[in-house]
Amino acid sequence: MPPPRKLYFENVRIGDELPPLTKPMIDRIQLARYAGAANDFSPLQVDDALARSVGMTSVVAPGPLSAAFAGQLVTDWARGTPIKKLSMKFSRMTWPGDILSCKGRVFDRWGENGRYHVELDVRAENQKGELVARGSIILKVFYSFEDENRARAGQPPLIVNVPRQSILEAPPAPMPSPKQTRDMKPAKAAKPVKAAAPAKKAKPAKVKKPAKPVKAKVVKAKKPAKAKPAKAQKKKKR
Amino acid sequence: MLDLRYLGKVTAPTPNDVERGAIRKFAEALGDSNPLYHDAEYARANGFSNVMAPPTFPLSFSCGVELKDLLGVPARQLLLADVSFEYERPLVAGDRILVTSKVSDINERPGPAGKVSVAVVEDEGRDDLGKLVYRLRKTWVLR
Repeated sequence: MPPPRKLYFENVRIGDELPPLTKPMIDRIQLARYAGAANDFSPLQVDDALARSVGMTSVVAPGPLSAAFAGQLVTDWARGTPIKKLSMKFSRMTWPGDILSCKGRVFDRWGENGRYHVELDVRAENQKGELVARGSIILKVFYSFEDENRARAGQPPLIVNVPRQSILEAPPAPMPSPKQTRDMKPAKAAKPVKAAAPAKKAKPAKVKKPAKPVKAKVVKAKKPAKAKPAKAQKKKKR
Repeated sequence: MLDLRYLGKVTAPTPNDVERGAIRKFAEALGDSNPLYHDAEYARANGFSNVMAPPTFPLSFSCGVELKDLLGVPARQLLLADVSFEYERPLVAGDRILVTSKVSDINERPGPAGKVSVAVVEDEGRDDLGKLVYRLRKTWVLR
């Protein structure tokens, strides 16, 4: 099978939504396989009688399953770009019989000294639409096909400095406070996603243009006072 | 409250071999059929030296000490509240990773039903040459 076209920085926009991923229902067989494969035999995840004795209806599904599903969501979208960082907070227990759906959107992107990163806001919900986990995933990507070829040929990377947008345009979405794993109100946790929305307005569509004339030219983004960093950069470019 | 005597506890580096079959089984358990996890040729065409491990794979590693001995409470009383992985490079089949775990924090946090006791455990995975491959941070909540 030939390798797929990679995901490149120049094609990613803040606010881009990833195609959602709905996983098949978590069943006992998956839990058994996961316990073996992850070497995770936590009693509350494998021993039904014990789980009932402490007031649960059944064993609980391991929280990291939702983190792995979020990883799949992003890896599928990023077409083979490895994950640099994955952080997930589990806000609600998941159970056998649950169906988890993962959603993601581009929360930020930045380029610094030829290194390009894309940050995604990811969340997993159960079949009732309740948030079960939320977090962020950061990918390290090439700027463009040309940038990748340069790297393969041992040449220095293309340098297009792109400041972090979320910092300039809007305060970062507040994460749900690190409460305990037991049930947390989903309404509360759903809020931050809304809060992240203003970043969308900062459509960095203009940033795309520098892509054409790139020739490893060092674009020094002047410290943008406040907003419109993309524009500032474009001006510089001409 | 968890026993503060466990704060700062560090485990000796424990070797974990990243086996191709183990990666495949892990990906199968997740229902993730990405060829990067089972097709070496495909992985190589994507620039990796062998099949890659899914990002949460290090959860399957052993640090040589059972959780109950690391934190001093039975595993049935602990729930995972969050995880955070940070990679210096992707894990691939054939890697031999030396894992160390450290109890970096034992504390109390406000929860919906009063204070909860939490422990933060930080793992580090290094290759044969001592180079850092990943960090993994886990927060456990005492139930």
